[in-house]
Amino acid sequence: MQEKPNIILITADSLRANHLGCYQYPPPTSPHIDKLACEGVLCENMFAPGIPTQPSHTTIFTGQHPVTHGVVAHGGKARLTRGSPWLPEILYEEGYTTCAVDTLFRERIWFGRGYEYIVDPSLRHMFYASVTQEELNERAIQWIKTVPKGPFFMFIHYWDVHYPYTPPERLRGLFYDGHNPTDPDNHELDEWWHHPIGAMARDTWLRSSSGLIRDPKYVTALYDREIRYLDEGIAALQAALEQQGMAENTIIWLGADHGESMTDHRICYDHYGLYDCTVRVPTVVRWPAGKLKAGSRLAPFRQLSDVAPTLLEATGSVIPEEMEGRSFLQQMQGQEEPSGYDRVIGLESTWQAKYYLRNSRYKFILARQPDMLGNPDRELYDLAADPGEDHNIATEEPQLAAGMEAELEGWLADKLQALGKTKDPVKEEGAVAESIWAGHRS
Amino acid sequence: MEQNPRKEGSDDRVVPEPPAPTPPEDPAPVMRPEDEALVAERLRELGYIE
Repeated sequence: MQEKPNIILITADSLRANHLGCYQYPPPTSPHIDKLACEGVLCENMFAPGIPTQPSHTTIFTGQHPVTHGVVAHGGKARLTRGSPWLPEILYEEGYTTCAVDTLFRERIWFGRGYEYIVDPSLRHMFYASVTQEELNERAIQWIKTVPKGPFFMFIHYWDVHYPYTPPERLRGLFYDGHNPTDPDNHELDEWWHHPIGAMARDTWLRSSSGLIRDPKYVTALYDREIRYLDEGIAALQAALEQQGMAENTIIWLGADHGESMTDHRICYDHYGLYDCTVRVPTVVRWPAGKLKAGSRLAPFRQLSDVAPTLLEATGSVIPEEMEGRSFLQQMQGQEEPSGYDRVIGLESTWQAKYYLRNSRYKFILARQPDMLGNPDRELYDLAADPGEDHNIATEEPQLAAGMEAELEGWLADKLQALGKTKDPVKEEGAVAESIWAGHRS
Repeated sequence: MEQNPRKEGSDDRVVPEPPAPTPPEDPAPVMRPEDEALVAERLRELGYIE
C-alpha cells in the first residue's frame, strides 16, 4: 500500500449541519452520511469564519481567516494574493496528483491553483449550480479509476443542496406532511418575493403545474430531498472507492462552506445572516488506515481554517506558518484530548456587512451598516436559553453586549495591525450584493 | 335449523372501509432550461456569478 493517503475533500454547498441525521435531524435525510460518521469522526461545532461560498472556500484552502486572506465577500473586489498558502498547490508539490471536480475557478482564478486536472461538467448547464451529484460522480469516479498513479487529492464541490432545490422526481413525496403546497391563501413567503433571490425563485423553480409553491414546509422538504439525493451520491462515491480497493487509505472529508437558513430570522432559503443555521457547518471524516477513532464526536469549537492544516499533517507535510488554523488530526485519532477554540469570530460582506463573535454561551453580532431586514446593529443571543437565536437580549444585557463588542473590535484591531492593514475589509467591501441590488432599484 | 331473517342494519353487514387519507399534493417543481437561464441572468445582475 502507498504510504501517503489519498484525499477526497468534499464540500456540499449550503449543507446545514442540523438537517443531517448525525446532527440529530429526525427525518431520514442522510443514512449514508450517518454511517460515514459512525465509521469516522464528526465535529459537532465546526464554524465558518466567513460566508458565503467564495470567502469560505478561500479559508478552507488557505487555512486563513478571511480578514487575513482578504476575500470577505462573494463577488467582491478583493483578490487572493499569489503568495497565500494553498492546500492543493502544497499537495501537488508534495507529489500528489491533484484534481478539482468543481466550478469555482470559473468565478475566481485562484480556485484553480494547484490542480493538474480540473473537471467541470457544469459547463453543460446554463447555471452551474444545476450540476448534479450524478454528473460530478460519473467524472470523478472515472478519473479515480484511470488517472492517479500515486497518492491523489481530489476536491469535489457538490451543488445539489444549493438553490434551486429541484430534487429528482423519484424522491417525490418525501419529508412533506402538508396538504397543499400551492395554497393561494398561504402568504408565509410573501415577504421573500421582495428579495431578489426570492423573486427569482418565484419566477423559476417554485412554479409548478399546480401553481406557485407557497408553503415553506414544502420548500424545506425540497431542500431535505436534495440532501437525500446528495447522500446517495456520497454512498456511490464510497462504493467506487471500495471497488478500487482504495477505501482503506483514502481520507474522505465531508464538509460544507456554509449552511442554509430555511425561514429562520426572516431569511428564506439562502445563506446570509450570521446565525448558527448558516455558520455552523457539518464535518465528517473517514480514514480507516489513519486509525481515526471511529464513532467519536468532537465537541470543542473548530473553524474551517483548520481543514488544510489537518489534512497536511495527515500527509506528513509541513504546515506553512502562514496558515492560521490548527491541525486536530491527533484528536481525531484519539491521541490527544479534544480541545479547540474558546471563541470564533467570523464575518459576512455580501448581503449584509457584519461580524460575529461566538463563545460557548453567547453570540454577538455587529453590523457595519444597516441590513435590509431592519435588524438592530447589535444582536446578542444567549445560546443556552435560546439556541435558535430568536430573542435579542442586547438591550437587556448592555454590559455583556458592550464587553463582547470591545472584544471583537480589539481582536480586529490587533489582527489588522499584525497584517499591516489599516482598513476594516468588511467596511471596505460593504454588503456587495445588497448594494448592487439597491443600484438596480434606484 | 331455524334461520334468523337478515335485518337491515344488522352487525354482520359488510361495513365499507373508511376512505384512505388523501396523500399530500406534491407538485414537484421542474427546472426548465429557460428557468436555468433566468436564474443565471438574475445572479449575474447581482454580481453573484460572472
